[in-house]
Amino acid sequence: MPYEPLLLRNAGKPGSETIDAYLASGGYQGLRRVLKESTPEKMVEEVKASGLRGRGGAGFATGVKWGFLPKTRDKPRYLCINADESEPGTFKDRLLIEKDPHLVLEGIILSAYAIECRTAFFYIRGEFHQGCRVFQRAVDEAYAKGFLGKNILGSGYDLDLVLYRGAGAYICGEETALLESLEGKRGLPRIKPPFPAIVGLYGCPTIINNVETLANVTLIAERGAAWYATIGRPPKNTGPKLYCLSGHVKRPGVYEAPLGVPLMELIEERAGGLLRPDRPLKAVVPGGSSMRILPASKCDVLMDFDSLVAAGSMLGSAAVIVMDAGTCMVWALLSLARFYAHESCGQCTPCREGTGWFVKILERLEAGQGRPEDVDLLTDVANKVEGNTICPFGEAIAWPVQSYVKTFREEYEEHVRRKGCPLAATATVS
Amino acid sequence: MAEPKEPQQPPSPPPGPALPAAGPDDVSLLIDDRPVVVRKGTTVLQAAEQAGLLVPHYCYHAGLSIAGNCRMCLVEIEKAPKLQIGCATAAAQGMVVRTQTARVKSTREAIMEFLLINHPLDCPICDQAGECRLQQYEAAYGAGRSRFNEEKVHFPKRYDIGRNVVFDAERCIKCTRCVRFCDEVSKTHELALFDRGDHAIIGTFPGRPLDNPYSGNTVDICPVGALTWKPFRFRARVWFLRDVPSACAGCARGCSVNLATYNNRIHRITPRQNMQVNRFWICDAGRESHAPLSERPRLAGPRALAACKGGPQQEAAWEEALDRAAELLRETAKAHGSGALAGIVSARLSVEDLHLARKALSEAAGIPRLGVPPHVEGEDDHLLIRRDRTPNAKGAALAGPGAPHAGRVKEILEDVAAGRVRALVVVGEDPLGDGLIDAAALGRLDALIVIDWWKSPTAEAAHVALPSCGYGECEGVLVNFEGRAQRMRAALRPWAEAEPTWRILRELGRRFGLAGEYPTASAVFDEVAATVPAFAGLSHRALGGLGAVVKEA
Ligand SMILES: Cc1cc2nc3c(=O)[nH]c(=O)nc-3n(C[C@H](O)[C@H](O)[C@H](O)COP(=O)(O)O)c2cc1C
Ligand code: SF4
Ligand code: SF4
Ligand code: SF4
Ligand code: FES
Repeated sequence: MPYEPLLLRNAGKPGSETIDAYLASGGYQGLRRVLKESTPEKMVEEVKASGLRGRGGAGFATGVKWGFLPKTRDKPRYLCINADESEPGTFKDRLLIEKDPHLVLEGIILSAYAIECRTAFFYIRGEFHQGCRVFQRAVDEAYAKGFLGKNILGSGYDLDLVLYRGAGAYICGEETALLESLEGKRGLPRIKPPFPAIVGLYGCPTIINNVETLANVTLIAERGAAWYATIGRPPKNTGPKLYCLSGHVKRPGVYEAPLGVPLMELIEERAGGLLRPDRPLKAVVPGGSSMRILPASKCDVLMDFDSLVAAGSMLGSAAVIVMDAGTCMVWALLSLARFYAHESCGQCTPCREGTGWFVKILERLEAGQGRPEDVDLLTDVANKVEGNTICPFGEAIAWPVQSYVKTFREEYEEHVRRKGCPLAATATVS
Repeated sequence: MAEPKEPQQPPSPPPGPALPAAGPDDVSLLIDDRPVVVRKGTTVLQAAEQAGLLVPHYCYHAGLSIAGNCRMCLVEIEKAPKLQIGCATAAAQGMVVRTQTARVKSTREAIMEFLLINHPLDCPICDQAGECRLQQYEAAYGAGRSRFNEEKVHFPKRYDIGRNVVFDAERCIKCTRCVRFCDEVSKTHELALFDRGDHAIIGTFPGRPLDNPYSGNTVDICPVGALTWKPFRFRARVWFLRDVPSACAGCARGCSVNLATYNNRIHRITPRQNMQVNRFWICDAGRESHAPLSERPRLAGPRALAACKGGPQQEAAWEEALDRAAELLRETAKAHGSGALAGIVSARLSVEDLHLARKALSEAAGIPRLGVPPHVEGEDDHLLIRRDRTPNAKGAALAGPGAPHAGRVKEILEDVAAGRVRALVVVGEDPLGDGLIDAAALGRLDALIVIDWWKSPTAEAAHVALPSCGYGECEGVLVNFEGRAQRMRAALRPWAEAEPTWRILRELGRRFGLAGEYPTASAVFDEVAATVPAFAGLSHRALGGLGAVVKEA
């Protein structure tokens, strides 16, 4: 049975970003129903029952997270939508924002209603110029049609949404750095606890959710948690998912499939297979650049939260980066390390100093000046970064370093022995 | 987009000692098998400190918010899969903390290695050497080797980040203590962290250097040699310095300070923690209040005019000069009556000095009027600085000749100008230099007797000038505006022939029949304690390092 897209149901159609097209396809019906028939508590229960897990990287159960809000109502509660999408290889939220902003917006309104928030902040990556324009127009349309603002659809519920453009730092996608940035400060992650659900934006209880997570809330409101929970691999990996395929595949792009789709199906059937017939698969990063790499031998895996943990990696942002046999694993890691060295906020010692150190060692290895002890040194430095930092950015570079070196150790040693890259002549390093 | 999930659990610990019972506002926990009871809200690092265990730390400072960025304080907490930072983790009932495990130790080694890979290691030319946390902790917790074979990151060195502060960005460990100080304590917001990754650097905003009345505290709290105090740079290796606890005499706050001395000189003044007075801080003016000691010309020995008027001052022996002073006073009283005698006494002097001023000048010599000039400047600020620049106004009011009173001083000086006052004793004040009187008017006096530490214009005009100890050369008590009595300590040998003011006054008093022994400042203070109710029960010893509050009516 061919899979009927849910998240991308409108995305390909002309004018899909307009409110008219969205309404014509039955949009905002879920919101109407919920505002009329449901309550915030019931909405939270509904999301819990759906099994929805966050699509921003950690896969934390969305309804459970909402449940962490304090029971008191003495402070305003805020919803921050994480649209900072900057993880290398990840470009799914951008598609939703540009092509179906109202699907996202409806999910935002529903979620804000569920957590009793009256001001939501849409934190969008600054470089998303098109996305910004499109989303602002969608917000304006929603205000004009009474989906935002005072007394939404006559329900007595008020919600304002503020669009806020980031200034171009990957770290501002980390939820507490995002809050700092929203408050007008430098995007430095906060120490936790306290967690944002208790002390978040401007010291008030705050929920931070990913764009795709909230788009899923629209689906749940439309057709119910029971229906939603049948999609994917229930009970713990439910719902549709957007996968970003990049690297050495014929048709890179965003593909929708249920959670639990086989990785090889995504690569071979959806993305058209490997780019060059003469180069077999070497490795895949299944969940965005921060996740551990899987060698080809481990790529027979289902793409969901728990299957990937079992395989030694994580679903992360579901950015599938495909590397064929022409890829130098020292170079690939160097390229990654450069990104992380550039993006480390510089706040805490292990990450600030470790990220730059990785780059320097890897540059030497690539340049043929590696020493035998460098290979273990990389791993040891990564081990000392892991678990010792303020925010998970530390792991986001430690895990790749550990896994690239462990999985392709021979290649690292060969760089030392041969004083350079054995693949230099053939590698597709572009 | 990783969120860490650490799989491994620490091995379950051997059974330790039982937890002590905790009160309703307390929690009890075990730190390295030591039972500790602390107030709720105490952090693990502070709890360990209370138990006498040091959790090494860079970014934590008791006077600042928690940043949690250096990661030096990572400790093991039972049931937590990851190490936790002691500075930000609240002690909880039943918590089991370990600060000495192999895992903690290897993590500290790693943090030290990270901190040093891009550090210039220029200890031999660094002012902080000897009191640098990098040095201390590398010795105590480091692996003693580096595996870093790369070019280090380079940053500006010897950079004037403020009027009095020099910044070496290569030595900086980005603990942000200085930034937090400017945000939270001075509230002047000059500093911030700029750039990212290993290029992160502390800096200022264009056109706004680090320049606030408290900027020197950033230097004190900088755990490394990144921020240095310009006046102290390259002046002395800190291991030669000896810190003498004292109180600042810069204003009515009377901050607790340390006077760092070497070769009979104060090289710097730093704050000494006193939660009742100045917490951890002092102002820049107080920090530099030792400068006049070396900048102003000192009065080396007693001086007296050979003949009565007009001739130049000449060196005199102490006895001779004191005799001359007494004789002048006596002659004036005889010729014009005791109403022609007056005195100006400073509220910058100690309680002991002021007590003897009263005893010797008022009671023994019968000088009917003593005036105490006020010194005010600016306004009280939000932190420490008081507009009242006299450190002992309260002491003068309680134990000395009275509270500072501009009117009374003015009256006396007008009487000098009018020729009604013909002999004036000035102790620790400079009415001529301060513009309270002009030279011609002062010149009408038959006797001007000045006790001061420097050759002030008034002292230069004196018939008898008697050299007293400068700041840091004598013992004494100051009472701050809140009534806290604190000790000033003698950190230096008196300059040349200088004597403590109270002793000079004692000797002068003896020439008028003053009876008491007054062998030491502490004995003088004992008499104050015995005779002035506000000081009842106090003694130098009882004041200790942090002082005590006097009992005001
Ligand atoms: C370095 C770093 C970057 C991140 N970037 C993003 C991002 O761009 N978008 C996002 O949704 N989550 C990002 N996250 C994850 C967020 O911190 C947070 O977990 C997420 O927004 C929660 O949303 P969810 O519960 O809906 O998944 C990032 C995390 C880290 C550590
Ligand atoms: S782990 Fe890296 S990005 Fe996160 S707070 Fe520390 S330095 Fe910043
Ligand atoms: S200058 Fe000193 S106090 Fe400021 S961040 Fe650097 S090391 Fe810390
Ligand atoms: S505030 Fe007053 S007492 Fe404190 S250091 Fe400054 S001058 Fe001295
Ligand atoms: S002292 Fe705890 S992280 Fe720096």
